[in-house]
Amino acid sequence: MNHAELYLTATRLTFVEHLRNRLAMALIAVFIPTWISLAYFVFENRPVPFRLQATGEVLHPPGNEFTQIAGAVNALTLIVGFMMFAATFTSGTFDRRLAMAGYPRVHLLLAKLTALTLVSAAVAVYATAVTCVFWSPRRLLLFTAALLCASLTYGGFGILFGSLLRREVEGMFAIVMTSCLDVGLQNPVHSSGANGDLVQYLPCYGALQAGTAVGFSAASVPTCFARQLAWFLCAITAGLMVFRRSTRRLPPPSRTGFLRRRPRGVPRPTPPVPAAPPDPAAAPGAD
Amino acid sequence: MGQDLLNVSDVHHAYGPRPVLRGIDLTLRPGTLVGIVGENGAGKTTLLKILAEELRPQRGRVRYGGRFGYCPQHLVLNDALTVRQHLEYFRAAFGLGDLDHAEEIMDVLGLTSYSRERVSVLSGGTKQKLNLTLALMHDPVLLLLDEPYQGFDWETYQRFWDMAARLRRRGRSVLIVSHLAYDAERLDELRHLDGGLLHPETPAPL
Repeated sequence: MNHAELYLTATRLTFVEHLRNRLAMALIAVFIPTWISLAYFVFENRPVPFRLQATGEVLHPPGNEFTQIAGAVNALTLIVGFMMFAATFTSGTFDRRLAMAGYPRVHLLLAKLTALTLVSAAVAVYATAVTCVFWSPRRLLLFTAALLCASLTYGGFGILFGSLLRREVEGMFAIVMTSCLDVGLQNPVHSSGANGDLVQYLPCYGALQAGTAVGFSAASVPTCFARQLAWFLCAITAGLMVFRRSTRRLPPPSRTGFLRRRPRGVPRPTPPVPAAPPDPAAAPGAD
Repeated sequence: MGQDLLNVSDVHHAYGPRPVLRGIDLTLRPGTLVGIVGENGAGKTTLLKILAEELRPQRGRVRYGGRFGYCPQHLVLNDALTVRQHLEYFRAAFGLGDLDHAEEIMDVLGLTSYSRERVSVLSGGTKQKLNLTLALMHDPVLLLLDEPYQGFDWETYQRFWDMAARLRRRGRSVLIVSHLAYDAERLDELRHLDGGLLHPETPAPL
């Protein structure tokens, strides 16, 4: 079986796995439009000050429309993070069995990455379409790209948490709390520190900056995307490294080199015993 | 090592301060059926994980005379995929040209009619049949089986032993780990894992 077949088999079956995650499918279908619609109707349309870090310009988008962007980022990061976490967590031992049976891990990793990219692209397009029901972002393609980058980043977190954490609830909690803090702290509607310096270190800062800039202005956004892509690369690299480590054959002993200790209960190795001289009485033919 | 399919020498392992294996030596020649029994917590699964390269022993060496198949004690399957999709995945993993051998095993175990079923809807015994099929489908020379017949009905249990006997006739070696020595008379050798060491036992009907 050649590389293309190995990659295509892993990608196809990874997709099957995602598509059979009914909760995730239901969340995509219901949660995204609900969140975006509620944000539009529940929040006031009074302008809120939002500082673009790249230019220093302060925009004043309507509060409800800005909250729609923040809500879309929140919904997408939660869903994609959950999907990747669930797939990685539930199939962790299965992936290891596959790898030990000879499936090249690089193909399994590429399949995960492909699934993450396509799922993220699909939900980003969907969320953009729902947003367009209420208002039209000025640069639609870049708006979708901003949502895509946020989803990709949290997909990386999902793979990382799924490979690292031992209990399902831990991973779910980690994703929910990270996303809520991340997006909540950047929303000037309910955070007085949204335009402060600290928020620029949050994982979705680049995506929210880019989404707002391309939604309401003609401001240049490459630095926002670069910042978000850097977060994505860090998250996905960490996630894939942990996945690679958890699926490898024969983990080495925890301590190596001069720090390595003999475990308690294991006897000290004995030096080889020299062979005893042959007993003439036992020789064949001896009486 | 000669023609041996498995050669284990002086394997030690401990979990923290608690030693589990204190110097395991074991050799499997082609065409042998070997059983290892022991009480709960005796270290049977630890030993099999070491033999299956899932765990590195803290001391000792394991050498193989060919490719092995490993059926873990716990089901290692993907609930979202069907039986057929599992076979496709592992066909690619093992680099097999077709699924003929896998289908023969499925026939013997009575799994064929579940090909299109998703694993999440299968019974425990049927899942175990798939778990076992995945270990056997590449026709390994050495089989490492950890409690392989858990959940099997009587008929499947009998078929399992028929299949093990056929494998033995074809020169394959099978190592079965179990907590009870059922069907000891079917084995060529029976070892008792106790105190971290393997002790020989004479196979006799219980």
